[in-house]
Amino acid sequence: MNNYPSKIGMTALLLAAFGVIGSAYSQGDITIWDGVYSTEQATRGAVVYSDTCIACHGQDLGGNSNAPGLVGMGFMFLWEGRTLGAFFEKIREEMPTDRPGQLPLQNYLDVVAYIMQANSFPAGDEDLPRDVEALNGIAIASKS
Amino acid sequence: MREITQYCIGQLAGMERLFGTIDFPANKAMMVTDMTIHNCSVLKRLLLPLPLLLATFSASAQIEEFTPVTNEMLQQQPSGEWLSWRGNPSSWGYSPLDQINTDNVNQLQLKWSFALDDTGAVQAAPLIHDGIMFIPSARGVVQALDAATGDLLWEYRPAPPTEEFINSGAGTRAAVLPPGSFAGVGRGVQKNIALYGEMIYAATETASIRAIDVRSGLLVWETQVADPTLGYFYTAGPIIANGTLVTGITGCERYKDDVCFITGHDPLSGEEKWRTSTVARPDDPGGDSWGDLPLRFRAGSDAWVAGSYDPEANLIYWGTAQAKPWARAVRGSDGDALYTNSTLALNPDNGEMAWYFQHLPGETHDMDEVFENVLIDVEGQKSLFKMGKLGILWQLNRETGEFIKGTDIGYQTIVNLNPVTGQITYRDGMIPRIGEEINMCPSTSGFKSWRAMAYSPDTSAMYIPITLNCELATFGPTERQLGGGGTGPVRRVNYPHPESDGNLGELLALDIPSGEVKWRYRSRAPINTAALTTAGGLVFAGDWNRTMLALNADNGEVLWTVRLSTSNQGFPISYMVDGKQYVAMPAGTGGASWSGSLPNQLAPELSRPRNGSSINVFALPD
Repeated sequence: MNNYPSKIGMTALLLAAFGVIGSAYSQGDITIWDGVYSTEQATRGAVVYSDTCIACHGQDLGGNSNAPGLVGMGFMFLWEGRTLGAFFEKIREEMPTDRPGQLPLQNYLDVVAYIMQANSFPAGDEDLPRDVEALNGIAIASKS
Repeated sequence: MREITQYCIGQLAGMERLFGTIDFPANKAMMVTDMTIHNCSVLKRLLLPLPLLLATFSASAQIEEFTPVTNEMLQQQPSGEWLSWRGNPSSWGYSPLDQINTDNVNQLQLKWSFALDDTGAVQAAPLIHDGIMFIPSARGVVQALDAATGDLLWEYRPAPPTEEFINSGAGTRAAVLPPGSFAGVGRGVQKNIALYGEMIYAATETASIRAIDVRSGLLVWETQVADPTLGYFYTAGPIIANGTLVTGITGCERYKDDVCFITGHDPLSGEEKWRTSTVARPDDPGGDSWGDLPLRFRAGSDAWVAGSYDPEANLIYWGTAQAKPWARAVRGSDGDALYTNSTLALNPDNGEMAWYFQHLPGETHDMDEVFENVLIDVEGQKSLFKMGKLGILWQLNRETGEFIKGTDIGYQTIVNLNPVTGQITYRDGMIPRIGEEINMCPSTSGFKSWRAMAYSPDTSAMYIPITLNCELATFGPTERQLGGGGTGPVRRVNYPHPESDGNLGELLALDIPSGEVKWRYRSRAPINTAALTTAGGLVFAGDWNRTMLALNADNGEVLWTVRLSTSNQGFPISYMVDGKQYVAMPAGTGGASWSGSLPNQLAPELSRPRNGSSINVFALPD
């Protein structure tokens, strides 16, 4: 008799544990590494970023004393394990701080694309989906 | 006469920087020696083609009547004037005028209002001299207004830095704010300016200091103090101390092969006389307080709030900010990290440090102690009062730096204060580890901010703008490499302070020196301005939700309110012109957490207009 859990059973256990600690996605979901935005969208987002975000978050997206960095280790610390939908909602609800939520929806999406590009997440053929449900299906994860 | 020559040549050099090379025959320099200081600007006008002048000045009325501001005037401010950012060099934020008082304040009327640029956060500290208001606002703009009528006399608008200038920096062009970007917080904000002789002094978003001719609004000289591409910039303006122009730099959160500092300059030429680091370098005394971290990883200690000056001791008092990254575990040292979160006493003639007092050694939660230094003689003790984000009111002996008293206003949950020694110790479990959530009051936004407290000698009380808040905070790692660093990321969940009754704002009156609570006024929105006290028995302040208030300084009763164009934001002042007392309150958009995430998240039913920065001036009916 085999006392060790089966390989499939072990995977299920791990996935369950991952779920308990609050992961908002599961294996099989789309991630930021799957080319979920387009280069054109990121280019549009760069313009929005320069107009409305740059003073606090910096031209290199590294942040300053009052605004978090949006790239690298800091970005992953704040957002890994959450979804692109959550990130989008945070920005849409609170940014820019002088007029939160007041930019056109498309500007918020484009700036998310620009931040993804700045983090070297790969571009694909399509713009980000305009629907929050769909964005919630895109996981922010380390490269597997 | 030699000084005047240097002055005028300096003016012309400044013009060259603005407009390009001026074709200026060598023999003209001789002419300059015969000119009065006033005439330098006239000389420039003759030399410059008119279209160039029109390009930068939309208003250029000359100010004819102007008495040069002397050291004596700065030290003993004439009644009715407001010559330095907090009114007097002791930074009381107090006006000795009493025409407006507790009996008649309810009759205050708007006399004039003037819209300021909505190009960034306005947190202005206006100055008044000879019936003229000089007001700084975002992106380096300075305007001169008739203080009684609100007429614009001149305005100075800097040209954006050239590509050549940006590309000549040693760091990244990423650090320089593009023209047209909204300067919501940090770079591009201009809090205070200084007035001395016949010049306005401003410190810039590109880490330079400017001298502007007070009569014409023309640039006289501009001195580059640090390289903005390395991250350096100013938000605080200069002060004048014993004839020296002193300014503290900020933007020191990224790793670089240099550290934050305070400099002293010759006001006539801009020449740097001294530079004092606000961080102990590895081989300096106290250098081991950062462990074995090399210089490049000793970040922070920004000097982003202007200091105070005691002419008798001939010392300036300047605060320094927290170390960066904020958390010990992230910055890689649990040492004291001198001279972060300290009050420094410097000789303004040479920058030598007479003493320092480190309020929070090895600070590890973003609890800044950089704020204003209020100099009061209490019961024969020459004292300095200061409050940082934790809400501890410190009383130091300003001659020696010795601790006298500390009053914890009772809202914080992070440290214990030894009332005898002034030493703090962290409460159990309150030193953050990377990735582990802690529950702390205040949040990283602090109970206290740049919104300066004011002292009234009439009530012997301090009036302190407070915001109540707490946070679940998880500190995270950052890249330890040149150009990296910064504050470090924090996962933060703000929540209301348990003792706040749902209010974010508090104006707290503390008796001096006992520290006993005299009264509290609370508001749903953060108190978003400095406080102003007057001999009329009043304290003025304003909240984020546009309500400006006059309260009875004795008992906190609200005697008058008015709603402004947008958030009250900046430094209210009071002054007199032709026998009439005025109260001026700046309103502004932009700003950091107190005017952003805190009201947005914890008072979501409130909102403010996205535009509407202004200066608003009130007086009694004619």
